[in-house]
Amino acid sequence: MSADLEGRYRRVLRLLPGWYREQWEQDMVAAFLDSWLTGDPEADEYICKAAGPGWREVASVAVLAVRLYLGGAGTPRRYAWGQAVRRAVLAVVLVHAALGLVALVPAAWVRGVLGLPPLPANLVNATPRGVWPAVFYVVSVAWIVVFVGLVFGRYRTARALAALTIVPSLVVMLQAPFTGVGPALPLFGPWAAWVLLSLVPVLAMVAFHRGAPTGPARPWLLALPAGYLLVFFPLLALQATGNSAWVPDFSGLCCILAALACLAHTPRAWSRQGAGSGVWSLTLILLAATAGVYRIISIADYLNDPHLIKVGLAELLILVAAVALVAPDAARTQAATPAPPAHPHTTAA
Amino acid sequence: MAAKPMTGQAFFVLAALADGPRHGYGIVGEVADLSHGRVKLKIGGLYGVLDRLASEGLIEPDREEAHDGRLRRYYRLTRDGRRALAEEAELRASTARVVRVRLGLTGPAAGAAG
Repeated sequence: MSADLEGRYRRVLRLLPGWYREQWEQDMVAAFLDSWLTGDPEADEYICKAAGPGWREVASVAVLAVRLYLGGAGTPRRYAWGQAVRRAVLAVVLVHAALGLVALVPAAWVRGVLGLPPLPANLVNATPRGVWPAVFYVVSVAWIVVFVGLVFGRYRTARALAALTIVPSLVVMLQAPFTGVGPALPLFGPWAAWVLLSLVPVLAMVAFHRGAPTGPARPWLLALPAGYLLVFFPLLALQATGNSAWVPDFSGLCCILAALACLAHTPRAWSRQGAGSGVWSLTLILLAATAGVYRIISIADYLNDPHLIKVGLAELLILVAAVALVAPDAARTQAATPAPPAHPHTTAA
Repeated sequence: MAAKPMTGQAFFVLAALADGPRHGYGIVGEVADLSHGRVKLKIGGLYGVLDRLASEGLIEPDREEAHDGRLRRYYRLTRDGRRALAEEAELRASTARVVRVRLGLTGPAAGAAG
């Protein structure tokens, strides 16, 4: 009699990982039916035909599914992927935060806040005026705050701030086509950057849930100034010495950074001695995939420039070659994931 | 490093099992009663909590009973679960005492005596 209602709920439960359903589905279905059925055959017949899981019920299952897929407590099978997603999100936010420093440090330098000699004249841009530059200075600071928040486990604050932080870029991109105001942006690159490097990481911040383990803060915090000094300072130096032609566009820079990270990780991935090496390999695969898709989409903006297309393809080739070095370690990590946790009924005395 | 704080839902689920084993929907009802209707667990939320508590060794299965052709599984507190619940209850009670004193709902002497 309860088949209709039960069938509808079981369809919702398909959101959950198979191993979890094996352990808990019967129990969940029984509890769900208990919550609906009254024991009165006539009423129950009507309920079973007409009723179904409400949106709050569906949402509770969806939230549970996200937690299980992204690795909370008691989910060892998915732990590696959950960790990899969290690290990849942190790495992307690190790039945003370092870009924030790129915006803030010269501004502070020009104003003499850092107590350094004056910047070379060709690095000092005319101070932009208006609302948007001010907004983007705030956004730059906000990314740094988001990064620090994620590192220190202030996940809710970081998620909320990150969601606000990606809005100004969207407004600027929508402004030109719809109002004719503002700079005409390339058709593909900015959108790809916004979706892949802003929207997707913000959505993926659900991986920073309550049950997610917090990692060591110190290496990530050191990575921010290190990333600024090691990556962006050379780029600024190229500009300062009149070698701007050697500076890749942002998608190319992402490919090169991902490729260099893969190369740096390769000795560890091949030795398989470092703890957590496989999770880092998975993380790098995620980052490389993001950079690769960004590169492919943004190449479409250069269709009338064969030289830039060749450069873009070369960057992709370098990225693929570097990914091939860590891919076997990532695959081993997937194959070696531990068995799912035993169902409490099987462990009961 | 301090232990992770217990969530409100976990506290209520453990509290619902304090006086004996209950099955899934029985826990939902008891949690609603204990919280005066403020905590209304959905089934997905309940099993998220049960799964976590079981993996932490705070609850364990008790028995299965047939009811209207369905198997109801009952859960009970483990010794660790009973201890964790008692510690959390004491923490919440002491916090509540401080809050009542600060709000002027009771005197410090009454709080100390209680």
